[in-house]
Amino acid sequence: MSKLPAAQTTELRARYPQVFDRPVSARLATPVMLLAAIAIFVFGLVHLGFSPARMLGGMHQLGWISMMMLPPDPGSSLPLYLKALGETLSIALLGTTLAAVLSLPVSLLAAKNIVPSNIFRFPVRRFFDAIRGVDTLIWALVWINVVGLGPFAGVLAIATSDFGAFGKLFSEAIEGADRKQVEGIRASGGNALHEIRFGLLPQVLPVIAGQVLYFIESNTRSATIIGIVGAGGIGLQLAEQIRVLEWQKVSFLILMILVAVAAIDWISSKLRFAIIGRRAVA
Amino acid sequence: MLVVDGLTCRFGTKAAVDNASFAVPPGSFVGVIGRSGAGKSTLLRMINRLAEPTAGRILFEGVDVTALRGRDLRQWRARSAMIFQQFNLVGRLDVLTNVLMGRLAGIPSWRSLIQLWPEEDKALALSALEQFDVASLAAQRADQLSGGQQQRVAIARALVQEPDIILADEPIASLDPRNTRIVMDALLRINKHFGITVLCNLHSLDLARNYCDRLIGMSAGRVVFDGAPAALTDQIARELYDLEANEVMGSASEDATAGVDVPALGAAEAA
Repeated sequence: MSKLPAAQTTELRARYPQVFDRPVSARLATPVMLLAAIAIFVFGLVHLGFSPARMLGGMHQLGWISMMMLPPDPGSSLPLYLKALGETLSIALLGTTLAAVLSLPVSLLAAKNIVPSNIFRFPVRRFFDAIRGVDTLIWALVWINVVGLGPFAGVLAIATSDFGAFGKLFSEAIEGADRKQVEGIRASGGNALHEIRFGLLPQVLPVIAGQVLYFIESNTRSATIIGIVGAGGIGLQLAEQIRVLEWQKVSFLILMILVAVAAIDWISSKLRFAIIGRRAVA
Repeated sequence: MLVVDGLTCRFGTKAAVDNASFAVPPGSFVGVIGRSGAGKSTLLRMINRLAEPTAGRILFEGVDVTALRGRDLRQWRARSAMIFQQFNLVGRLDVLTNVLMGRLAGIPSWRSLIQLWPEEDKALALSALEQFDVASLAAQRADQLSGGQQQRVAIARALVQEPDIILADEPIASLDPRNTRIVMDALLRINKHFGITVLCNLHSLDLARNYCDRLIGMSAGRVVFDGAPAALTDQIARELYDLEANEVMGSASEDATAGVDVPALGAAEAA
């Protein structure tokens, strides 16, 4: 153990004035920012009519609903609900698959290493952005007006909005691919299609498969929501039961959705490991 | 006969290769030597047309290679097989499919795209793998192999292209001394037994002296030496490598460069 020499305070103060005498603006910056953030938050609450009284008043209503939900009971509608759940799962599966199949070829056009020209790539990217910018729910409302109520509109809604999302994700995966492997194909005398088929796809397929599986999982939840606006499936049942205040059926439906999402989560993680595993893809 | 005539490649204002001219008769084993950044890689990549020349011509048996387009270009690439420092295999494809990539220029696209490889092509690929003792790995994913094994697969891929020239771009720079020897012996065997011209970029002068019949020295994009290894005096080598001279001239001699006798076919050491 050594003893530190005593600090020469006045001398050090003279040598590093900016450490000892920070300007007032620097010292006040943090508290001012914090106060401003709190002020904006409070203004928002007041402006949107947040009232603790109404919260407390409604609290006993929430408790009442929870009580009414117990025990969960489908009544005599279990077969109907199972059919609706199956419909929701098919909407998610078909919609996501359709989106993936359609966006893969288009996403190639949005990848810098396939289409180096900014002029050609830019419109494709903006096209994806525009489609992605509109939420699945809005697409569902649009498609319901085009093809009528029911699961078909649900499939189209999910396919459309995820087409945009996949286009972006796939093109980014393609841009991240190793150039050297593609070059190996080109140097052996392969054409552009060979470069994509043998140089690029084996690299990006595991990434793409993982993304598609995750989207199927998350779309099971989306498919429930779009069901509420009339695109079929279990969401439709849920909305109806809430409307007629059949809380036991509502809680049963919610449990069904939870179990289905958990099951899909489990299956997709198994599939993902099988795909990205140590096996050759050809 | 491969003729390189006034070949230049500029990236912006910097000339990676500056007015290079030489001729390579069939069957030679030519080493291209020089410091990193001397333009050796760009030279080889231009011959395979992976890099576009800014000026100058490449002629092979009288045909202007620099003017080739489309199908002809692909067939030229197959005839001038590249071997890379980083192997450039497709990691997630199996070894056999990687070797079959060497047949792409020769079969119709619809067949190759759905992987309907002709029997004789598969046989050719397997026999090439056998020559380098890696046939047993045919079903494995390429990225599971060691560096030395991957480079032997890459050489097999080059061989099934049935090339007239092999362009090896620093083929041993990522390998240990034992694999260096295996890979250089493989190139020498291909050269002597099949009469395929080999153009090989090498950083190590000892290797170049031991394996090549002729050396082309490059410095700052220019060809500054062209002659038999014996003609390369220590003084020229020092000029070529400048400060790195001691490093490249002394080190690799212990176990990688012992012999120049041509090994028999199929006699590569097992990995």
